[in-house]
Amino acid sequence: MEYKKIIKRPYNIHFIKTDKFKKVRIKINFKTALDKEKIVTRNMLSLILLDSTKKFKTKRLLDIQSEELYNVGIEANTNISGSYHLLSFNLVYLLESYTEPGMTEKTIQFFLDFIFNPNIIDNKFDETSYKNAYNYLIEDINSYEDNPNQLALNNLYQTLCPNTGLDYKNTGYIEDLEKLTNEKLYQYYKELLNDNLIDIFVVGNFNESEMQNIIEKNFQINTLKAQGTTHIITHKKYRPLPIVVKDKKNINQSILLIGAKLMSLTNFERLYTLPIYNSILGGTADSKLFKNVREKNSLCYSVSSTFSGLGSLMVISAGINAKDFKKTVSLIKKEIKNMSKGDYTEREIEQAKTTYIASLKEIEDNQSSIISIYEAHEYLDYALINEREENIKKVTKQMILDLNKKIKLDTIYFLEGGKTSEE
Amino acid sequence: MKNKEIQGIDLQLYSKTLDNGLQIYIVPFSNVNNTYVTYSTKYGGINNEFIPINEKEKVKVPLGIAHFLEHKMFESEGETDIFNFFQESGSNCNANTSNRKTSYLFSGPNAFYENLEFLLKYVEEPYFTDSNVQKEKGIIEQEIKMYQDNPYSRMYEGLMFNTFINHPLKYPTIGTKESIYSITKENLYTCYNTFYHPSNMFIIVTGNVDPEKTMEVIEKHENKRKIKKISLNNNMIKINEPDKVEKEEEIIKMDVTLPKLAVAFKINITKLKMNENDIYQVLLNAVDLKIGTTSLFTEELRNLELITDTFDVTGVKAEDHLVIIVDTETNYPEKVFDLLMEELSDLNIKEQEFNRRKKTGISGLLFASDNIFRINSKLASDIMERGNIDYSPIKTIKEITYEDLEYIIKNISLKNYSKIFVLPE
Repeated sequence: MEYKKIIKRPYNIHFIKTDKFKKVRIKINFKTALDKEKIVTRNMLSLILLDSTKKFKTKRLLDIQSEELYNVGIEANTNISGSYHLLSFNLVYLLESYTEPGMTEKTIQFFLDFIFNPNIIDNKFDETSYKNAYNYLIEDINSYEDNPNQLALNNLYQTLCPNTGLDYKNTGYIEDLEKLTNEKLYQYYKELLNDNLIDIFVVGNFNESEMQNIIEKNFQINTLKAQGTTHIITHKKYRPLPIVVKDKKNINQSILLIGAKLMSLTNFERLYTLPIYNSILGGTADSKLFKNVREKNSLCYSVSSTFSGLGSLMVISAGINAKDFKKTVSLIKKEIKNMSKGDYTEREIEQAKTTYIASLKEIEDNQSSIISIYEAHEYLDYALINEREENIKKVTKQMILDLNKKIKLDTIYFLEGGKTSEE
Repeated sequence: MKNKEIQGIDLQLYSKTLDNGLQIYIVPFSNVNNTYVTYSTKYGGINNEFIPINEKEKVKVPLGIAHFLEHKMFESEGETDIFNFFQESGSNCNANTSNRKTSYLFSGPNAFYENLEFLLKYVEEPYFTDSNVQKEKGIIEQEIKMYQDNPYSRMYEGLMFNTFINHPLKYPTIGTKESIYSITKENLYTCYNTFYHPSNMFIIVTGNVDPEKTMEVIEKHENKRKIKKISLNNNMIKINEPDKVEKEEEIIKMDVTLPKLAVAFKINITKLKMNENDIYQVLLNAVDLKIGTTSLFTEELRNLELITDTFDVTGVKAEDHLVIIVDTETNYPEKVFDLLMEELSDLNIKEQEFNRRKKTGISGLLFASDNIFRINSKLASDIMERGNIDYSPIKTIKEITYEDLEYIIKNISLKNYSKIFVLPE
């Protein structure tokens, strides 16, 4: 893989050349500091821009054209990335050798028209598209709680890390949507083009100068922008004794979440020591949690730990019977305590490193994963694949023990199922 | 060993049927790091009544046993923990059970031959005891509960239960709490001995491998087992499924915000002189063109603010019948259902639209063809659904004509259905 970054000030281009794939993937990120009220506005843009363009006036016509262009895949989505908010547009298309000459330019132009040539009438988006986007988003917001896992995690964050942005719902909020109008949305769209930091990632087998020409022709933005800062969120305080929060919902399986804050992590710990710790504790089907909570005690089907280096958090989750709450919590606490005592072998550490390196190799087989590596490099100052491979080898047991002191259990959250097991 | 090109997608397939009946398929990819291996048996959730190997009388085993058995294959008599073995080399291992197939799999960029031999060994050496069978019941009970809290799983299960009368597709692959608690070690061995015979199994390897050496390793291992090839068709019980549905409508009340609607159309295809897979593909596309994302119907319903997205179109093959399933979310399920039935009363679509779908089908194959996971599952579905590998998949798509579509829609109807609404409590 060959990487090249072209800094244009209004935007950055990241070219990642590889001939491993029969397709090319492009991702364009518009990012700005996270603002709770603006989440819905940006979600509306992700929907409305894909609903119609100047040339193709309805979503039906756009979808037909996508099929005509050899099933080209186009998506827009938003995502809270630590202290920033990203609005992303994705394109994946087949190489011309599998379609027909001229398709590359035609396809990319079709894609960029979603961003730069929306269906604007009298300084507003097309009314039907506005209504479609609004109806879709309001349903998405209203049905947020239908997914028990999503609900439980958000409830945990309300106590664990309120007002950090991690606790914001990615759908945005009804009250902000009610305040939005079509005119305001169009104003915001213009601001977005001018003010947001833009990164364009292209991965695959493409002609660099052809690609750069198409991009420059379309990105007629002249604002000079300062480069962004890191997206990472850190915590100043934690509870010396974890708080227990319980809610009820009419579900069969109860969800237990244990949230920990990770205090004063170094970037080395975030990227290397923490994944090793997590892998041993609960990151795999061979972990301490899986073996002792699921296999030895048959308490659950799922139990695992996950971490967010970006959010400086670790969360342990288990799906259990309501009556097993106390027993499961104490078993999980016991495993965490064993970790702090260093109750694991050098072999387990080596194994976790092998897993880490293997997953780096797998990243190279997948275009979306490749882009994620370069996004993390750009936004979090994380190392690229080769450097990661070298650094992970340096992690020692002492480093894991030092990290352990920075892991502070803060909140135990329980979403208790209201149905009895007899039903 | 046979070596043949899969035309149009630049892949080379090496294959061989071993003396014990095990089928091996290998597709080498020179430019990837990873390798993916699946070891599958043609045995899944629907195989609950059969004549066990070397016996004469039919037996009936508890629902959910194929999936239970899959969980229990991760027990071994020796010291080595199966997950741990794969973890050592940074590989992933897993298994899954569907209606008709159970697969054991691993993927990873390291220790390929060691992993391969280990996979063969653990799938071929079951170790069921009364206590390890008992232990699994609590775990699977939790897995069942997890599905019951998912409105889509509940809707799909309800729909299958109401659509079928005798066909085992009526019941979920995972079984029920009652059925899994009745499973015994003896049941498991009966199923294992019948369905995990090499003549009922196949291995697919896709990724960065040397095909000759891979074949040699598998063959050497299999020859040591000294098992003879057998014919398996005689232990399957013929299912007699009526055309009508068990129940035409049901309402499920759940803790959801947005109502959901699903309809299963049950279609008898025994009179059609066409291959089941082609009918299935044509029908899925025809229904999707009528009501899916590129249809005027979806556009109109969105403009009327009756739906906010579109309709998903999926299906199930059930021997004499095809079931086409349509679902969506809407605050107006009754109204949308009526409009849907009216729209589907006529399945005629334009030739141009039909041809566009053929083009996207071909592009879809090309998109999948640089991905070791997707090619592995494409080959598995060829084996399960066609009974053999399609060496010219692009030609297969090209050969389905607009006349075929006209013939199918003239000879079937969507009048026979079961519908389900999931409504807020």
